[in-house]
Amino acid sequence: MAEIKLKLKKQPIFPLEADSITPDNFAGKNIDEIKGLIIYHGKEEEKIGDYFDVSGESSEINDLKIIIEGDLSNIKRIGEKMTSGEIIINGNVGMHVGNQMKGGKILINGNADDWAGAMLKGGELEITGDAGNYIGSAYRGFWQGMENGLIKVKGKVGHESMLWARSSKGAKKFPMLICGAADSLLGIHNHGGTIIVEGDVDRCAGADQAWGTIVIKGKVSRRLPSFKKMGETNEITLPNGDVIKGKFIEYSGDHAVSKETNGRLYIAA
Amino acid sequence: MAVKKIKTIYDVICPFCGTLCDDLEVDIDQTKNTVIEVRNGCQIGVKKYFSSNPSEHRFEKPLIKENGSHKEVSWDEAIDKAAEILVKAKRPLLYGFSSTECEAQSKGVELAELLRGILDNTASVCHGPSILAIQDVGAPTSTLGEYKNRADLVIFWGCNPVHAHPRHLGRYSEFVRGYFRRDGRNDRFIVVVDPRNTHTAQIADLFIQINPNEDYELINTIRALLRGVEIDEKEVSGVPIEDIKKLVEILKTCNFGVLFFGMGITQSLAHHRNIDTAICLVRELNDHTKFLLTPMRGHYNVSGANQVFAWNTGYPYSIDFSRGYPRYNPGEFSSVELLVKDQIDVSLIVASDPASNFPAAAVRNMYKHPLIAIEPHETPTSAFADIILPAAIAGIECEGTAYRMDNVPLRLRKVKEPPEGVLTDKEILEKLIEKVKEKMGA
Repeated sequence: MAEIKLKLKKQPIFPLEADSITPDNFAGKNIDEIKGLIIYHGKEEEKIGDYFDVSGESSEINDLKIIIEGDLSNIKRIGEKMTSGEIIINGNVGMHVGNQMKGGKILINGNADDWAGAMLKGGELEITGDAGNYIGSAYRGFWQGMENGLIKVKGKVGHESMLWARSSKGAKKFPMLICGAADSLLGIHNHGGTIIVEGDVDRCAGADQAWGTIVIKGKVSRRLPSFKKMGETNEITLPNGDVIKGKFIEYSGDHAVSKETNGRLYIAA
Repeated sequence: MAVKKIKTIYDVICPFCGTLCDDLEVDIDQTKNTVIEVRNGCQIGVKKYFSSNPSEHRFEKPLIKENGSHKEVSWDEAIDKAAEILVKAKRPLLYGFSSTECEAQSKGVELAELLRGILDNTASVCHGPSILAIQDVGAPTSTLGEYKNRADLVIFWGCNPVHAHPRHLGRYSEFVRGYFRRDGRNDRFIVVVDPRNTHTAQIADLFIQINPNEDYELINTIRALLRGVEIDEKEVSGVPIEDIKKLVEILKTCNFGVLFFGMGITQSLAHHRNIDTAICLVRELNDHTKFLLTPMRGHYNVSGANQVFAWNTGYPYSIDFSRGYPRYNPGEFSSVELLVKDQIDVSLIVASDPASNFPAAAVRNMYKHPLIAIEPHETPTSAFADIILPAAIAGIECEGTAYRMDNVPLRLRKVKEPPEGVLTDKEILEKLIEKVKEKMGA
């Protein structure tokens, strides 16, 4: 697998918008061409070479791996709309990482800021630290958020994760979020997304969920009153066919949306 | 013929709160160019008229800060200096606009686009969450006249109009007689939902006291009950379930209901999601009866700022022009977040006082960088400004358009002359645009 290494030389004063750092843009380009790609600093257009040391060799997109080193917490939009290849980030990363990506893989060895994997259409996003608010969410005013793909977060995710997620059984699209813990309003307006939380969740999980599955293996600080207890279960079958074993209490909801609902919330018994 | 000393102007529109009362009578001393008396206004609105009279707090000359104190300069010098600072900036913030007229606001949009800066108005710290919710789930709304004539159930949720919009109750929502509500107050049932027993709550028919920050759960429960779902809990948000059931009956059986909501729910936890679920509730209530909602906007023309920004750029607030075209994302491009993260290098504040309202961390960063204020009065913002451009008070000293809280545009009136040498917000922004263009071309 061909590798391109980027190393941050200096911290920008304002956030850099680096939506040009994707395997799609790097594929088939030599190092000088990659150095010349545009990134935005405030209102000024600057070049990747101004902020990064670039080394390695490019190749076909499917065979391309981009490795980025340094504290990128002030750098936004890495991997925006990427379709294939792989990005590995060793350090924290700024907002909108991997937003609207269609395929490929992003691995972040650190924390990610807000809007990571927003409106994901496919591919895989893995974060070993914590993630900010709105992970895998729909952008403002959109009614369709994450459509497909997988987001894995080892630590905690922020507020309103997986907002307006939408699955499609016919098209075999099952958006999924696996995280260590979550803040309030997890999976709000869920339309078929699957969320698995290994730890605790703050208030209002699954608010306005029309259908979908939320599995919480820890505690919920305040469950919404509009969820109704259905019974206990020892086995959960997820929409994509996977099975989770363990003792859970099954709730149906959100009944604020409709009296009969296929939405399910499982909380560890 | 001698000039008549006192002139009375009728049907003046009050430029204070979003109610935009249009029946004020103002007496002007024409020889001294001062306001003598204002009738029909509320206390806070009347006070604004008197603030236009000469006082030590009023700026009458452009000022530039030198060695820690403000020095009077000419308009040309002040505009030149301000334009130079703005042109050099990499990420300027243009904030405010809610207490000035629409024509000035559209000049603000032009300047922001020219500078490729950030454009924001005070909605980002008040009813911005309402706008986010409306963008997500829509809004069934109407004009205030409709409520006055038809509503028999009025809910005030998280707002206290007795203090914040004093004449709202008398003109539109509580005591006023309407076409179908001939008996005024007696024909209306008033519900107040608030964590505090406010003065609005004390004159209501039903007061529901809820725990702070738990509005989402309560509205959510009402929605479920409305759908005929039994709730397992005995109490939600500190309100017994029997009381919630009674409220649901009241909501379902009214002829025409309206929900007014304020910053009590837009700025408590869950922010725009409170409004999101409130809008869904109102939408679902329309299966049973007629129900609408309206946000209680604070500044008299903050609705106008949203309108003007939206028709110029497509977005109502928190707009970033850094890539040459408008982009929108509150939380990323809103002024408080940018200032807290110190991602701004110049601020231009128009007709607003963020230093009094923003978090301390944001204000500290704002003071760190050059600050230009277009402002008629001494405020915590202008006191620390590097350049102060004194403006006429819109709606008192110059004409313009303003939008009421229900998005009805009204024409503001000029009742007196501005102090000599003072320009209007629009003229100042026009001069700045001209100078910035000149400097950018060079």
